[in-house]
Amino acid sequence: MTQRRLICLAALLLVAACEGGNVYASGPAPDLVGALPELPPTTGGGTASGTEGTFDHPAALGDVTTDVREALARIEEEGPPGYTARVQSCRKLPYATLGRVLASRGVNLSGDGAGALYRESDQALGAPNYGARVAESTEVTVATASRMFDLFVQAAPEIIAAMPTLDACRIGDRGAEMFDAEGHCTADGISCLLGVPATETHVALCDTFIARASTPERGRQIAVASMLAAHFTCE
Amino acid sequence: MNRPMHRLPICTALVTLLAAGCGGYDYPDAPTPPAVVDAGASAPDAGEVGGDLSPDAGSAPVDDGYADTPDTSGTISAEWQARLAARTPDYGQALRTASLRLRGTLPTLVETRFVAAAGDPRRAYEAFIDAWLEEPTLRRQMLAFWRNTFRAGGNPALNEAPAFATWLVTEDRPITELFTATSGACATIAEDGTISPGDCDNGVPVHAGVLSTPGLMAHYRSNLAFRRVRFVQETFACTAFPAEIDAPMDVGGASPYTAPWPFESIAGADNGGRIDFHDVSSVTCANCHATMNHLAPLFARFDDEGRFQDDFAVRLPLVDAPLAVRADWLPPDEETGWRHGIAARNLPELGAALAADPDVEACFVARAWNFALGKGDIVATLSVVPTSVIETERAEFAAGGHRMKALLRAVFTSDDFTHF
Repeated sequence: MTQRRLICLAALLLVAACEGGNVYASGPAPDLVGALPELPPTTGGGTASGTEGTFDHPAALGDVTTDVREALARIEEEGPPGYTARVQSCRKLPYATLGRVLASRGVNLSGDGAGALYRESDQALGAPNYGARVAESTEVTVATASRMFDLFVQAAPEIIAAMPTLDACRIGDRGAEMFDAEGHCTADGISCLLGVPATETHVALCDTFIARASTPERGRQIAVASMLAAHFTCE
Repeated sequence: MNRPMHRLPICTALVTLLAAGCGGYDYPDAPTPPAVVDAGASAPDAGEVGGDLSPDAGSAPVDDGYADTPDTSGTISAEWQARLAARTPDYGQALRTASLRLRGTLPTLVETRFVAAAGDPRRAYEAFIDAWLEEPTLRRQMLAFWRNTFRAGGNPALNEAPAFATWLVTEDRPITELFTATSGACATIAEDGTISPGDCDNGVPVHAGVLSTPGLMAHYRSNLAFRRVRFVQETFACTAFPAEIDAPMDVGGASPYTAPWPFESIAGADNGGRIDFHDVSSVTCANCHATMNHLAPLFARFDDEGRFQDDFAVRLPLVDAPLAVRADWLPPDEETGWRHGIAARNLPELGAALAADPDVEACFVARAWNFALGKGDIVATLSVVPTSVIETERAEFAAGGHRMKALLRAVFTSDDFTHF
């Protein structure tokens, strides 16, 4: 066996936990004692934790852990580390950042509606729980994505109404409007909403949402919510 | 049994991959563009396009065999290289991403249009990065970064270490003071977000930065102080145990012994220990514990509240949970140490060893890189950053005296960050 294979074997075996001393010494149920084989005494004494007397080796410091199979599957799907490390990943928008983004675009986080939904959604949105050694989640789960979309749908009317008055959407003394007098999407409105320069594709897509909705009012809300969802699935 | 250390690429890959096994919403006023930037042309650059809602990434090229032998050296095939080379700069998108990460909010419409209309969008973008690295919002974002890195925060005790790390960043001090500061590591956060360094009062004779703060020591309490050891290894060296790999040696078990320390340099049932770290019946415990046991006694005098005691204050996972004694980790004459050949007789010496360790230096760069590029925790999610990817940034980090602000600037202005 080559040195490399030996190391591979050793590394794979390390996934398992180390065995404690006398696995029975921590006390089997009295009615089972007679059924146990005779074991030589050890100097180690019994173990007080873990499964079947082995010492507990937590998989991770916090609650997130990725095993080798997951890592290999990810490499197979996304590419080798030399590639993936050099491109942006789709990280979940941090809970606090999402709140600031919404507030900066006109949502009253202390109010009802979107504000209330945001306040109640910290766990669904992957907020950290440092007391339990759990960092902010970086993964976009189905629960997180669906809650974010609910939030954006709720927030859309507030954002549309507030945009012309927002400092973040102002150029000189003119505040950007999300929609023009004819109800069409504006490039400045989309740029401010998303934080990137709007393209013709953005504007056309936004108008399509409105055209396909049952009413223009509903269409405008869906347009804003959909564009937010598309751009904020990842940070 | 002393053997020279061999650094095997496959070992590094496997160890890295196996690591997992073993305030208010005070949106700032819209800032004006930095004065140093010339607005340049009034029309957006033709190449500046905002996020495409339906990107067509095409099918991923396949490297034969890469899944069988994961290579963390950064070597990739010509096809993957071609994909990297095909990226083009998009400073509008980069501005949005950088703003979300460095300021925690979106760029304003003025900022977005300014970069889009600039004659030299790269220069305009970099001017914003420079400005944002000096804004108070960086403190908030760095505090979140360190809280997530340390998995600690939210109350004064758990805020100490992340606040101190944040203070080192915003004050542009060497981040290695995380391990070497003899005062100030119990930092406090005022209601307005201001961070002040503060001295810890947990009885430590000579402090070693966050390695001796009561909040972290209490947060990572455990039997035999192994959780504290694991925290230090994973947080600051960016790999889980086993931390040291040497040529395999047959020690009579099903799997070989691979640590560089002599097998008998740690305690076991055959040399006075109450836990048999020499056990090889299932896996070779000593592969990880050779390093762990040489570190743990340094953290074992902190009690469950993080107060430093004269005697060891951690317990064994045995019936009646007895207090540990030194012989539970190491034989009598064995010294504590950071790595084989790098002795650390106390926490300040350990801090000095960490500050001088090139792996720790690389870890800071990799964590900053993953923060910027939107990756998960480098250990918990196995988001490996190959050495070759961060070579330039690491060299600048070292040359600049380990200042995080300069490192963040280097990463956020790198081609990999700004090209999509």
